[in-house]
Amino acid sequence: MIEKGKISALQMGILMYHAIIATGILFIPSTVYEAAKQDIWISPIWACPLGLLSVYIAYKLHTLYPNNTIIQYSEHILGTLLGKLLGFVLLLLLYTSASVMIWQYGEFVVSEFLPHTPKFVIIGMMVLLCAFAVHGGLEVIGRLAEMVVPIFFLLFFIIIILLLPDIEIKRMLPVMENGMMPSIKGSVTLYTWFAQFGIIYFFLPFLTNREKGMKSGMFSVLIVTFTLMLTNIIIILVFGNVTENFNAPLMSATRYISIAEFLSHLEALVMAIWLAGTFIKICVFYYAVVLGTAQWLNLSNYHSLVLPVGLLIGVFGMQAFLNSAEAAEHFRIVSQGFMDTLVYGVIIPMFLFFVAYIRKLRIFKQKGRRER
Amino acid sequence: MSRVFNRRKLKFNQKNKEQQDDKLVPKPLYPNLDQNLEVLHFLYKDCSDMVFRSFVIADQTKAQLIYIKGMSNIEEMDSNVLTPLIQKADQQSINPKTLIEQRLSVAEVTRIESFDACIDQLSIGNPILLLEGNQQGFALGLAKWEKRGVEEPSGELVVRGPREGFTESAGVNTSLLRRKIRSPQLKMKTLKVGRYTQTTIMITYIEGLSDKTLIEEISQRIKRIDIDGILESGYIEELIQDNSYSPFPQVLVTERPDTAVSNLLEGRVVIIVDGTPFVLVAPTTFYSLFQSGEDYYHHFMISTATRWLRFLFLFISLLLPSFYIAIITYHQEMVPTTLLLTMVDSREAVPFPALVEALLMEITFEGLREAGLRLPKQVGAAVSIVGALVIGQAAVDAGLVSDPMVMVVALTGIASFTIPRYNIAIPFRMLRFPMMLLAGTFGLVGIMMGLLAILTHMSTLRSFGVPYLSPMAPMKGKDMKDTLIRAPLWKLNTRPHLTGEYNEYRQDSDQKTFRRQGR
Repeated sequence: MIEKGKISALQMGILMYHAIIATGILFIPSTVYEAAKQDIWISPIWACPLGLLSVYIAYKLHTLYPNNTIIQYSEHILGTLLGKLLGFVLLLLLYTSASVMIWQYGEFVVSEFLPHTPKFVIIGMMVLLCAFAVHGGLEVIGRLAEMVVPIFFLLFFIIIILLLPDIEIKRMLPVMENGMMPSIKGSVTLYTWFAQFGIIYFFLPFLTNREKGMKSGMFSVLIVTFTLMLTNIIIILVFGNVTENFNAPLMSATRYISIAEFLSHLEALVMAIWLAGTFIKICVFYYAVVLGTAQWLNLSNYHSLVLPVGLLIGVFGMQAFLNSAEAAEHFRIVSQGFMDTLVYGVIIPMFLFFVAYIRKLRIFKQKGRRER
Repeated sequence: MSRVFNRRKLKFNQKNKEQQDDKLVPKPLYPNLDQNLEVLHFLYKDCSDMVFRSFVIADQTKAQLIYIKGMSNIEEMDSNVLTPLIQKADQQSINPKTLIEQRLSVAEVTRIESFDACIDQLSIGNPILLLEGNQQGFALGLAKWEKRGVEEPSGELVVRGPREGFTESAGVNTSLLRRKIRSPQLKMKTLKVGRYTQTTIMITYIEGLSDKTLIEEISQRIKRIDIDGILESGYIEELIQDNSYSPFPQVLVTERPDTAVSNLLEGRVVIIVDGTPFVLVAPTTFYSLFQSGEDYYHHFMISTATRWLRFLFLFISLLLPSFYIAIITYHQEMVPTTLLLTMVDSREAVPFPALVEALLMEITFEGLREAGLRLPKQVGAAVSIVGALVIGQAAVDAGLVSDPMVMVVALTGIASFTIPRYNIAIPFRMLRFPMMLLAGTFGLVGIMMGLLAILTHMSTLRSFGVPYLSPMAPMKGKDMKDTLIRAPLWKLNTRPHLTGEYNEYRQDSDQKTFRRQGR
């Protein structure tokens, strides 16, 4: 197999948790607020089933092909030519996704922390760091996620607790003023994030305890939902109807923390959380892209692809958008119409699953022949 | 390019092999004494410390006693070898071999049949007895040379705990282990490494606790070492560790028998190298480098608190100067206003940016520390006086550094001493400097990136198959009870899992004493 290392189901769950929440925790509240207003904390509940669905489909496909990733079994399900084509589309989408993430990271760091530093230095540093981790393989990324997660939770809860003096319950009232619809509309935006759970089809074959893969993936979805709800509640309680004015409300909220004159301006804490999370997130997608490309090209080893792919997504990430206005427009279109993550996270796997289901008999026959 | 290197390597290997072939092939002893002596005289030509003493056993057989001056016990040789053997035999024509069995009052007698074994025995101090007309020689266990006594290890001091430490002699060291583990399941395998030094290396483990493949792997790695000499266990450490390009130690080094024994009991392997009091423990993990033997002798709450203190100071020793630089240069808003004013006030006269100031002071401090380690004792006082001037009021008065910087440097210096093992404190001392540069260029973002890079590197490390960061990553809930906390002894029921099969339970459960209800 192309990847020699193995990770545990728990590590996979943590990886996915980081991959979703790292950017979500910052950008979700204000994007959801547009539609959902004071009900933003309900939206994750509506979006959660999509995450569960994508995990379910990925797991079902995994049970059909326990040792292969989506790039490999799409060839088997659709035939070599169509399968390669689908794999190509999938990889393109993943490349774009990873590049957009890197752009977001670069933009955020430049605008919030280091306005005078050239962007390519910041992006280049992150890509190099991620390349280092991806080169180490899946095991290393899994361990990194595991080391980061306790610090993440600790800092997250510290921030929540420190924000408590600033909350006011009446800001989230009235609950469901205009019925369910606003929160459901808001949840559509969240599909972008929850659909990314589909990417576990790259990790399921490398689990030590495969039978726990589904459970751990589902659990990860639920924890993500819970974290998002908690974040949204806190944000709405602190900011009320000014939430949408902030690009990253959680970050801005921490600026208002002031306890005993000493604990003030804790945005560095958020930055630490977010940077570590984004690192894992980029690593996850970077790794998926590298592994997928290597499998698409039928290489025996993916290590030689790490730096070229890194260069590619780094440069894409630099060029993704001209400025944040263009990016905002892109995200608006993506969140309302064509969702790239939804395509690779849910639609493609679902399509494959149905084709496999229809051709099931033949596939099992062939499988049996191969085993013999 | 690589072909050129390959050719070079090939050439090197060839030459190396040719030199090696000159070494003595094992030859059996001759039955003729004179012939044997001729060979030995030739081998030990120009060795003025060799003593050849010829005598006649019971007026019949010619014999020769050979030993190295200063390495054998001469009094015992006189009274227990020469005196009884020279005496006349009661009957005529008695067999010299039986005579030796009857009269030689030496406990340890080994028969040797080749020149190789002869040299081996001589070099560890055992005198050799050769007889005329006999193809066997006798090595007498009368080695005795000057060695240091068992003293308190100066590198690993404890408040509470045994005060004995390993010495330079492997024999003494094994006896220290054997005195603590009486069970015959304590096994020791001896290897000889070093073309010239032929250093004794002992692989010590407890049968049934250590994984067999682990022992096999360690002996394989030691056996493939081909080097002219082993002078310290550091040689072995560097040649057997998994990742040679890592600043982090992947083998634990200790001078304390109790630490070695507790590691043996956890299924690890102890490697004793003759000639040094430092033994190696493998495999090891990052967290075990922060454990001190004393942790288990004090109350578990105290030990846990001490461990937290160590981790806190680890972060301080790595990050404090970088944080200071980042905050002063990029994130002034994080400092409360009054504190900021004081800091600005004291920095006003300083001509350097914070990064330069910090680098200057940290490098000076490291220099002073290094100087303090190596200087002869007589000059030590001078260093401490000058040091106090350089990092202290004088530097501030001269307007070169600010007051807070002095505090930062001093605290960082103290922090790196709180880590119980010297070899894990060094990489963090070293990594402080790149972290400072990152902080000076990218602020807190740079620090975070540096931390993530260190973490990534540590995640790639393995020590003899055990992930370096385990049991935190990969997470093993059962083994976490002895990492960040030290659980009470009655809870430490299982051994940490290293590799392969292992003996899981180390003690009976429910050993906590409980107060009887009622009565």
